[in-house]
Amino acid sequence: MAYLTMENITRFYRDNHVLANSNVDFELRRNEIHALVGENGAGKTTLMKILYGLEQPDEGRIFLNGSEVFIRSPLDANRYGIGMVHQHFRLIPDFTAAENIIFGMEPKRRLFFLNRREAEEMVRSISDQFGFDVDPSAVVKNMTVGEKQQVEIMRMLYRNDETLILDEPTSVLTGRQIESLFYTLKKLTRAGKSIILITHKLNEVLSIADRVSVMRQGKVKGTYRRGEVDKKELSQLIFGRDVQFFAGRGVSSGHKFAGKKIFELKNVSIRSGDIKPLLDSICLSVSPGEIVGVTGAAGNGLRELEDVVSGLRDLSGGQVFYHGEDITNFSVHKFREKGFAYVPADRMKRGSSLQASLKQNLIIINHDGFSRFGILNRRRINSFVSKKLRQFSIDGNPDLPLHLLSGGNIQKTVLARELSIETDFIIFSEPTWGLDSAAGEYVYKKIRTHRDKGKGVLLFSSNLDEILGLADTVFVLFHGRIAGRLDNDGSLTKELVGTYMLGLEIDE
Amino acid sequence: MNRREKENIIVSFWGVLLVLGASLLFAAVLIFLLSSEPLPAVKYFFTGPFLSRYFFGNMLDAAVPLIFTGLGISLAFKASLFNLGGEGQIYMGALVTTVVCLALPEFNGLAGGLTALAAGSLAAGLLAALSGYLKVKWNVDSMISSFLLSSAVVYGVNFFITGYFKDPSSSLLSTPFIDSRYFLPHLMNPSTLSTSIFFALGGAVIIYFLLYRTRWGYEMTMCGLNPEFARYGGVNVSSYVTMPFFLSGLMHGLGGGFAVLGTYHMSIKGFTSGMGWGGIAVALIAKNNPLGVIPAALFFAYLNAGSKAAMLHTDVTFEVAAVVEAFVFFFITSEVIFSFIRRKRRSLL
Amino acid sequence: MKLVHDAVTIMTPFLLAALGGLFTELAGTLNIALEGFMLIGAFFSIVFVSVTGSMLTGILLGVLITVIFAFIFGAVSLYLKTNIFITGLAANLMASGLTVVLSARFFGSKGVVTFSGLTPLKGLHSGYSFFVYTSWLLVVVSWFIIYHTAFGLRIRGTGIHPDAVSSLGLRPSQYKLAAILISGAACGLAGAMLTLNVSAFVPGITAGRGWIALVVIYLGDRTPWGILAASFIFGLSISFSNYAQGVLNLPADIILSFPYILTVAAMTVYQIYRIKRKGGGLQHR
Repeated sequence: MAYLTMENITRFYRDNHVLANSNVDFELRRNEIHALVGENGAGKTTLMKILYGLEQPDEGRIFLNGSEVFIRSPLDANRYGIGMVHQHFRLIPDFTAAENIIFGMEPKRRLFFLNRREAEEMVRSISDQFGFDVDPSAVVKNMTVGEKQQVEIMRMLYRNDETLILDEPTSVLTGRQIESLFYTLKKLTRAGKSIILITHKLNEVLSIADRVSVMRQGKVKGTYRRGEVDKKELSQLIFGRDVQFFAGRGVSSGHKFAGKKIFELKNVSIRSGDIKPLLDSICLSVSPGEIVGVTGAAGNGLRELEDVVSGLRDLSGGQVFYHGEDITNFSVHKFREKGFAYVPADRMKRGSSLQASLKQNLIIINHDGFSRFGILNRRRINSFVSKKLRQFSIDGNPDLPLHLLSGGNIQKTVLARELSIETDFIIFSEPTWGLDSAAGEYVYKKIRTHRDKGKGVLLFSSNLDEILGLADTVFVLFHGRIAGRLDNDGSLTKELVGTYMLGLEIDE
Repeated sequence: MNRREKENIIVSFWGVLLVLGASLLFAAVLIFLLSSEPLPAVKYFFTGPFLSRYFFGNMLDAAVPLIFTGLGISLAFKASLFNLGGEGQIYMGALVTTVVCLALPEFNGLAGGLTALAAGSLAAGLLAALSGYLKVKWNVDSMISSFLLSSAVVYGVNFFITGYFKDPSSSLLSTPFIDSRYFLPHLMNPSTLSTSIFFALGGAVIIYFLLYRTRWGYEMTMCGLNPEFARYGGVNVSSYVTMPFFLSGLMHGLGGGFAVLGTYHMSIKGFTSGMGWGGIAVALIAKNNPLGVIPAALFFAYLNAGSKAAMLHTDVTFEVAAVVEAFVFFFITSEVIFSFIRRKRRSLL
Repeated sequence: MKLVHDAVTIMTPFLLAALGGLFTELAGTLNIALEGFMLIGAFFSIVFVSVTGSMLTGILLGVLITVIFAFIFGAVSLYLKTNIFITGLAANLMASGLTVVLSARFFGSKGVVTFSGLTPLKGLHSGYSFFVYTSWLLVVVSWFIIYHTAFGLRIRGTGIHPDAVSSLGLRPSQYKLAAILISGAACGLAGAMLTLNVSAFVPGITAGRGWIALVVIYLGDRTPWGILAASFIFGLSISFSNYAQGVLNLPADIILSFPYILTVAAMTVYQIYRIKRKGGGLQHR
């Protein structure tokens, strides 16, 4: 019955000490649509990357039709009839649909010449058979996202793949496009294909999946047949029942902050190209002594909003104010001059320079005293650096390149630098990614200290425990819009935030 | 210093040494294949530079322009910029220095020499800065534009040396001699070694200071290593394009200027040819460390001096040096060689 | 009309080298070694022609040596993972050093080496040479390979999105190497034309033509027909400046610097045009 089995898969990321998969068992049956659901970082994508040969497990085995297979590269995966549509499409934008589909397995005439007509014929027959609506001779870069996705799926069919993996296929699609995708997927299973659908949208799971496996913290928490679980139960399985994670959360109610505003966004929007806006009319403000939490599932605008508030990305519309002063589209240089502190989510590439030394990483924000008349004051720098190493217990030689440090120490380096800035406004994005729980607790303490000193904190986090444990006011993003503004007055639950996150509820 | 840091230094040291050693071996093989009297040719190639004061002094003198160009390239490299216009910049610097010396006979030596050097290096710096400007303004590839501009300038300088400023009384394609009051004192007669070597060493120290001890050098290095991080940290990234190019050109100009005041005392057609490319090789071997530039430049000067000695005594041509230099270029950036050494060391330990 | 006739002869080495470079360019490699490839081809072609006494054999052997040289360059840069730009520079320096060293060893001269008694390929003075017609043929052949074969499709795919190519189970480095070998062959031919046209080898006879070939590729918008047009414009401008030299008495050095200045100007204008067209956006996907 089981067509493909993954047994006891374990994958540990040494770089940032994350156990992405821990003894995971997964089973795919023929002709089924199997949904793999879970929060960001639950280990879904890692598991599928292992199946597709993009990553190697530390432990575990994979069986296909009962015999063990070794998948060391996508090449091997292709050989075993496993295909994957990545969240970011791997299409060649300048080529036509047909060219993309046949790429690598081209039909040839007299050995060498490309047989375009035959290629387009084959593509058209796949199209007719499964009801795709793509012109084989259309150039991919002029296509809509939905069409591009169809091309990716058609490519797997052209290659006769039996197992199809789709990573968050609906995150970029509109309602109608989703409907037609699901229609196609159903048709494919009837034609003998088996499909794995990675998603975090519960509505989808319930409407299409034959079975669903829930992952949480690197483990599979259970596999259920359709009808066995309802939306509420699934949501509890995904987020866990143990909501009370933080001891002593100092929560206040929203109205207290009316009046003075440190930082404010008015109708901020970002549009790019033909797809729906990345951000749509975002309004939010941060007052002194307030932690404003912003959350949302991946692909709903969290990262874009982070780029906007940190000055790294220009707006298509709207305004940004700092103490009432219009600072829309100021460069990050100006943002830094205003004294903002900012701990970015991408701490490896944006928040630090891995080739530069630990010391060089700590002094990028020029405090007084680091240099005089342009000449570096090494005594001051050294004493600053050694103070920070002590204060944050960073274990590393200040003159060594940062990439030689452990992931946790790199994280602490970023925090040490940003927290040393004297400011009344600080942005944290995913502050505990890659930290162990003790270090995480320390960061939470720091964030609360900032709030208690009357500073404004803007917190971006996809971790609901974190949001509920820290934020006074919670904004939930869905499809680039604010789906809900919720006061964290003690009665707020993960489930409620979750329903906004999953788009089950939207306040207008 | 902990183990890992030590290992990195050791690995890059052995890696460079492996490539340099292989290049010397290659030189020996090449000479064996090309010469009808291979044994003396190889002997002169390797020992020639140490056999006389003359050869030894000339070798040190040949390192001077290479130090300057190597510094110029390292500086731009630190900002992740590739200045491929060294050939034109050093040639231009040399010509302008010569012309200013010729035009200002009434100045005394020091002030006149300094004025000439300043003019020469400024001209070369502006030439290089143009590539930076085109990059910032219109995103024109600075690597290609610096090469093309420099190539055009080489012909332009040729035109002035062989035409407008040519010394009619000389059989050389050259300008007249500059006034002897501008000559830098010689250190090791009869060789051409002059006090210019002290300026070169001083230049290395100054560039080292600029890169490692100033805010400017720090920010530039950050822009080179990870522009996104630099931008995030509030550094104005685009300002670290034109300026490094300008300074890089400035160093090349100084190299040309000192070659005139210290060694040649005039500009001869093509006399700086190869010094620009040499500077790139020097910077690569030195891994862009300004102080490392000094031994790296000496290595290339040694190659040149060796082939000159071999040429004088046997039938080997001077261009052997260029071929060996190219050999070093071929392999010096190989990631595989360096990671191979790292693995070998680990398996031995 | 003389102007156009000269232009066609002048443009041919550019055209050949640029067609070869087009393959590396499409495979996503900035191949600055075109200059060195040409020089190797120039030297070995004329040497082999004079040794074998046969034009065709000599040229083929010369091209073969160039392809071997290109293979070394490609293998070192792709498999020893060097900085392809530095290694390209090395290939250029190696070519200019090696040709002089070998010429000194075998002909006893580091300067111009003339080869008398070569039978020129069909009428250099009446009509066009063998190279000119070959280059036209190669425009069509390149166009066909690039747009109408699976190989061409894969080369282009490698240049645009190597990750997509490797996730479909192909190796991008293989296609890059193949492109480098093709560029070697084309440049070998281009070099052969330079020496055989004057029946002599002159050190540095390529005089920056490999670099200009790169620019011709850009000006030709990276298509074979575009390259044909761009190299004709280049040939025409050089033939015109040669003519101007005769009339205006411009010094040779100034004339020689024109191609470079022109190239920088062309690149800059092209960039300005691109920025304007994209509406200032420099963002890649």
